Amino acid sequence: MTALALASFDREAPFREAVARAGEADRRIVGLWSPYPVEIGNMGEEVAAPIPWIALAGGWGAAILFYAFTWWTATQAYPFDSGGRPLHSWPVFLIAPVEFGALAAGIAGMIAFLVRARLARLHHPAFDIAEVERASSEHFVIALACDAEDGNEVLALLLEAGAVHSRLVTR
Amino acid sequence: MSDAARWLLPSVLDHKAITDAIAGPLVEGRAGKRWWIAMLVSLLVTGVGAVATGISFEYGPGLWGNNSAVVWGFPIANYVWWIGIGNAGTLISALLLLTRQKWRNAINRFAEAMTILAVTIAGLFPIIHLGRPMYFYWMAPYSNTMNLWPQWRSALVWDFWAILSYLLFSLLFFYLGLIPDLATLRDREGPRSWRRIWGACALGWQGTPAQWRTHQRLQRTMAVIATPLVCSVHSIVGLDFAASLMPGWTESVFPPYFVVGAYFSGFAMVVLLALVIRSALGLEAMIRPAHLDACARMLLAAGSVMLLSYGSEWLSALWTGEAADLRFLRFSFTGPYSGLTYGMILGNCLLPQLFWSPTLRRSVPVLAIVSAGVLVGMYFERILIICNTLSIGYVPAAWTLYVPTLIDALILLGTGGLFVFAFLLLARIIPLVPMYEIRELAEEAQMRAAA
Repeated sequence: MTALALASFDREAPFREAVARAGEADRRIVGLWSPYPVEIGNMGEEVAAPIPWIALAGGWGAAILFYAFTWWTATQAYPFDSGGRPLHSWPVFLIAPVEFGALAAGIAGMIAFLVRARLARLHHPAFDIAEVERASSEHFVIALACDAEDGNEVLALLLEAGAVHSRLVTR
Repeated sequence: MSDAARWLLPSVLDHKAITDAIAGPLVEGRAGKRWWIAMLVSLLVTGVGAVATGISFEYGPGLWGNNSAVVWGFPIANYVWWIGIGNAGTLISALLLLTRQKWRNAINRFAEAMTILAVTIAGLFPIIHLGRPMYFYWMAPYSNTMNLWPQWRSALVWDFWAILSYLLFSLLFFYLGLIPDLATLRDREGPRSWRRIWGACALGWQGTPAQWRTHQRLQRTMAVIATPLVCSVHSIVGLDFAASLMPGWTESVFPPYFVVGAYFSGFAMVVLLALVIRSALGLEAMIRPAHLDACARMLLAAGSVMLLSYGSEWLSALWTGEAADLRFLRFSFTGPYSGLTYGMILGNCLLPQLFWSPTLRRSVPVLAIVSAGVLVGMYFERILIICNTLSIGYVPAAWTLYVPTLIDALILLGTGGLFVFAFLLLARIIPLVPMYEIRELAEEAQMRAAA
């Protein structure tokens, strides 16, 4: 690859069309950016992280540990006879661990999201592309790998799909 | 008209127009005169509340209306009221997300912001009520010098964990939804310092398909967790009462009844905020009469459930025939607080019945009056739950009426000022309507129109 063909679209449909045409023409998609979630077949390539399972594991793990801690403090560390109630009063001991477990599930999911989405990364080569800046507000952007020789052919493909702006970036 | 088109005016079907309309009024635009006046007034009111709280801390709870029988008084009533309002934001956002309600987009962000502010304020009241607020951290499990641990059977400790978990979870949920919009603000023309702050908070978000997919998956996962969490938080508040042995409190219906009440009062606050935001920020194209209609239907449904809940409470007392319960019921309707009881029924049950009329559901003045009526009615309910029961408990010798003092009223007023102040501040630094969700809705409307 010696060049990069960049194109912006103002609507989702031509953007999808461009992705489809790039696939048909066997062009390698280097990057896709959109101002809201867009699901297109294998777009994004990577399988999303099993976030629900990570959150579930984090939540259950934290809740179980918290319950064990509650049990230990109430029955081992400082046994306190509260009006003859059993030291291990499990129905009321469940409340705090359940609440804390829900919080821990959220935190575990958030950590998984940050790792999987490769955040936080404030400096990234993509931010040097002017089109990417507009992708966060109004444009759909596609970047295709190509050679300087067949660059115009790729740009034509993108324009045919409905790009409102396209350009070739060479090394 | 397609479903998506119902929720947006054609003038904002363009992505750029959406971004300009929502991000435009933020710090890059000049704050209007009305905003500055509202800020100053709310700051002044907050200051008055802060002084009243400071005086309470200096001289103790003797300055409140609390007495040996009505030990909870205003502080706990305020806590229950604020946490009720705080419950609705995340619940509305999560439930409407899970049920794929498109009208959620216009209201979810500020509803979540409302939750965070209201829960933070609610969390202050149990601390103020402690009498020795400097020791509030004793509720946290840490190894102190006496090797004493928190009493896990105490409702105070349940509240501590419920509020803490809910507040932090709501913050995460709110922040997650905000990340793509912060990236939009980062990439727009605007003040450099603010763009840096937004950029840092956006964490380097690009909007690639992989990021969106992970983001959406986490958002749905958190919505699944949030729904039972919200219900559990207000159920725990209900248990604070139901786990006791007092007439009018020991009822198994309390946890669900509190959850519905919380949802109801929170939704009323959301409606009031929606009316203010659409007018003040010029977002009439995105917060449409159809949104107001949907909100009014929710108030009508919740108001009807409240009527059923009250009926169940009164009938339970009649059915048991227990002397203390009957005395409590008679006291509610004929005692010195009966005016509040009738006000509560009017605000919570009767006023929302106006929304059987489709015209009234879309009328801004009617919506504002009914929502304010619900908020006042719910406050009366919170006061009555505490004062009725504690004023006329099992021991006649302990029967004492509760009368709030000026300090009580000023502390409550101050928290209202704090809420408005913080909300106005937020309105200038973050988009109160989620831009990326509105863009998605606009695209759908466009596609349907084209088809």
